[in-house]
Amino acid sequence: MVQYNFKKITVVPNGKDFIDIILSRTQRQTPTVVHKRYAISRLRQFYMRKVKYTQQNFHEKLSTIIDEFPRLDDIHPFYGDLLHVLYNKDHYKLALGQINTARNLISKVAKDYVKLLKYGDSLYRCKSLKVAALGRMCTVIKRIGPSLAYLEQIRQHMARLPSIDPNTRTMLICGYPNVGKSSFMNKITRADVDVQPYAFTTKSLFVGHTDYKYLRYQVIDTPGILDRPFEDRNIIEMCSITALAHLRAAVLFFLDISGSCGYSIAQQAALFHSIKSLFMNKPLIIVCNKTDLQPLDGISEEDRKLVMEMKAEAMKTVIGQGGEPTNEEGVLLTMSTLTEDGVIAVKNAACERLLNQRVELKMKSKKINDCLNRFHVALPKPRDQKERPACIPQAVLEAKAKQAAEKEKRKTEKELEDEYGGAGVYSASLRKNYILANDEWKEDTMPEILDGHNVYDFIDPDILLRLEELEREEGLRQEEEEGDDFEMDGQELSLEEQEALAEIRKKKSLLIQQHRMKKSTAESRPVVPRKFDTDRKFTTGRMGRQLSSLGLDPSLAINRARSKSRGRKRERSVDKREGDGGDAMDIDDNQASKKLRLRSTSRSRSQSRPPGEVIPGEGLKDSAQKIKAIKLAKKSVLKRNKNARRGEADRVIPTLKPKHLFSGKRSIGKTQRR
Amino acid sequence: MATRLQFENSCEVGVFSKLTNAYCLVAIGGSENFYSAFESELADVIPVIKTSLGGTRIIGRLCAGNKNGLLVPHTTTDQELQHLRNSLPDQVVVQRIEEKLSALGNCIACNDHVALTHTDLDRETEEIIADVLGVEVFRQTIAGNILVGSYCAFSNRGGLVHPHTSIEDLDELSTLLQVPLVAGTINRGSEVIAAGMTVNDWTAFCGSDTTATELSVIESVFKLREAQPTAIVDEMRKSLIDTYV
Repeated sequence: MVQYNFKKITVVPNGKDFIDIILSRTQRQTPTVVHKRYAISRLRQFYMRKVKYTQQNFHEKLSTIIDEFPRLDDIHPFYGDLLHVLYNKDHYKLALGQINTARNLISKVAKDYVKLLKYGDSLYRCKSLKVAALGRMCTVIKRIGPSLAYLEQIRQHMARLPSIDPNTRTMLICGYPNVGKSSFMNKITRADVDVQPYAFTTKSLFVGHTDYKYLRYQVIDTPGILDRPFEDRNIIEMCSITALAHLRAAVLFFLDISGSCGYSIAQQAALFHSIKSLFMNKPLIIVCNKTDLQPLDGISEEDRKLVMEMKAEAMKTVIGQGGEPTNEEGVLLTMSTLTEDGVIAVKNAACERLLNQRVELKMKSKKINDCLNRFHVALPKPRDQKERPACIPQAVLEAKAKQAAEKEKRKTEKELEDEYGGAGVYSASLRKNYILANDEWKEDTMPEILDGHNVYDFIDPDILLRLEELEREEGLRQEEEEGDDFEMDGQELSLEEQEALAEIRKKKSLLIQQHRMKKSTAESRPVVPRKFDTDRKFTTGRMGRQLSSLGLDPSLAINRARSKSRGRKRERSVDKREGDGGDAMDIDDNQASKKLRLRSTSRSRSQSRPPGEVIPGEGLKDSAQKIKAIKLAKKSVLKRNKNARRGEADRVIPTLKPKHLFSGKRSIGKTQRR
Repeated sequence: MATRLQFENSCEVGVFSKLTNAYCLVAIGGSENFYSAFESELADVIPVIKTSLGGTRIIGRLCAGNKNGLLVPHTTTDQELQHLRNSLPDQVVVQRIEEKLSALGNCIACNDHVALTHTDLDRETEEIIADVLGVEVFRQTIAGNILVGSYCAFSNRGGLVHPHTSIEDLDELSTLLQVPLVAGTINRGSEVIAAGMTVNDWTAFCGSDTTATELSVIESVFKLREAQPTAIVDEMRKSLIDTYV
């Protein structure tokens, strides 16, 4: 649909401003420095560019004017005629035609002078040609000055025209001056049209909007019309006539039956009959206004006859629509805008009749077939016996019932936000509405990552159940243990065992004593780690010997110690795992193996390596060579360590701010060079 | 009751919220206006939960759910899932789905009894939908659109579908879903129904561009006031014809 918006037409500058704009642009946008020593082709090119650029700008500006002003033959006939009534079509066309001619003239001037510039043989001649070209262009514009001024005036007036959509649902209010058209408009829309007790208060078309049955209706208030020949009507009246002639609208013909407007019913009826050709094919409603002054029943006999005549005429429009001819309501209505009596009835009748007419037309159009599905409500056919009830909480129904009585206001987040500093300041807690067993848990922090693991991966939904189970098990075990209370007591041991115990205790105290003595003199002797002391090393052999010296059978203890020995860690890595079969590519076999492998690779390599073992990349041939190297290294530091001298492994704090670099005067380039 | 509102100047309220009969999810916005619109309407009855899904605000398009459960895409973070579980009542099952088509809201349309799904959804996903949401699942298209979740919105009482759905399709869908259906638009002519509105059995929220005609169609077909779906063909017929044709 074409939108009629005349507010976006760009301003038309007057002749003088036009020239200033273009010339200053030429000055700003083209090169300005030229010397007569330049090659002649360069000089010519310099001035040609100026001429061409000026012409382009003129062309552009004039083209926008020509394009932006509506062409009266192309727009909706309503607007075409309205503009003709307001501005005179001939004058308007002439002005635009002059602009077009000026555009062509300027192009021609530019073309001629560019051609002449090709023959310019000095800077002076070229410059003179440029000046002449620009001068002639400006003269052309100066000559169309009045047209530009006229167009600017029209532009300003058009921007103030009401934006009437000629295709939408429209109600047109017409009648003699001062019959209450504008007051009715003010009653049913929010247009706020000026209402005064004299004729021709409304001098142009006014638009308001009103709603009826979910739809928006455009209401147009027209200036009053006098009953006189078409040629004598003034511009104000012609606006009304144009609207009546071209808009497919419901027409409300207002009749002042009290005669307080200064025109008798007979005069108004005469007007009705003189313009009735304009009501063809439109829903026409005759509205008798000002019933507060004069009820319809109280008018004289000949007036009543006139009114009935008009009604009969209006009924023809109903029949003309193909509607039912018996339907008399909605044709002649009475109201009083003062007491607001019947105002809404008039509006509803007009809207209803307009809607009916439009729907009837639209039902005949082809487009209706594309939309038929949208007027169809698909009701379900039962496909099984299953019940599919709606789920509306009881609280909603209760609230609905209570709504009428009273409704306690809940403090919304929005109100809280406003209270605590507004958006961007207030930050609502997401945990506020948690549904938990205990409200105190709401603000508990929950770690996301713990020991490098995503906590959520380990969350067990039925952990509480399992905990309960474990606790029960624990309880059972405790009960059992309470049954056979274990206690270390001298009385329950056999004689033999008592002896062994005494022996163990004695030995223990002896060891403690020995250790204390050693410790008191420990500084004088090197301390050998137990790992490397063959006498004190923890071995199963030694433990066996000691235990048998105590008279105990060591085999059990030795076996136990062996079972607990961990061996070397590398041996446990997956590569040696049984069942894998060296099939390293098959990674999806099961989850457990995946975990194991991940863990073993992520750990650092075991450090428990004999010192002589050669690690690839160290640069040593074999372990013998490495041992030799280690020995040499130890020997080299031996003397220094004995003398407590500083070695390379000692911590060093260098002089952080050497005095010589941070003192004294300096001149340029001395900072680095001291 | 249908309410018109906006999410930060966007009328696509169905994108930023998810309404069911047992809970309502709302995106976290710059201010509390959007949340409070839901809160004032619903908070006395069902939990209204502010959340993000996978760090985004387009939660309405990412999740699908009804009063029995909530399906969230695999992009949902553990923290968001925990937040949802904490905020929802225990009888609502929250389930994260490993599904390639992660915008579940666009691929699944459901009420408490029936669900329509995208035709390319995994078989496993289909089973999960049936189990978690407790619905019958049908693979369907709406007016040739495979994104069923975007182009229709229905509750247990009625439904609105893409405006180009033919009458035969309407009847078929209506029989599948066992609710009255109407083809229509939202947000002044938008075809993406579910993006422009979100609805449950007793209330609806539409974008603020929604016209009076659209709103009255919605209120009739979803039976939000006393109006019945048949009102669309009776009282509103003329207005609809004048608007559409």
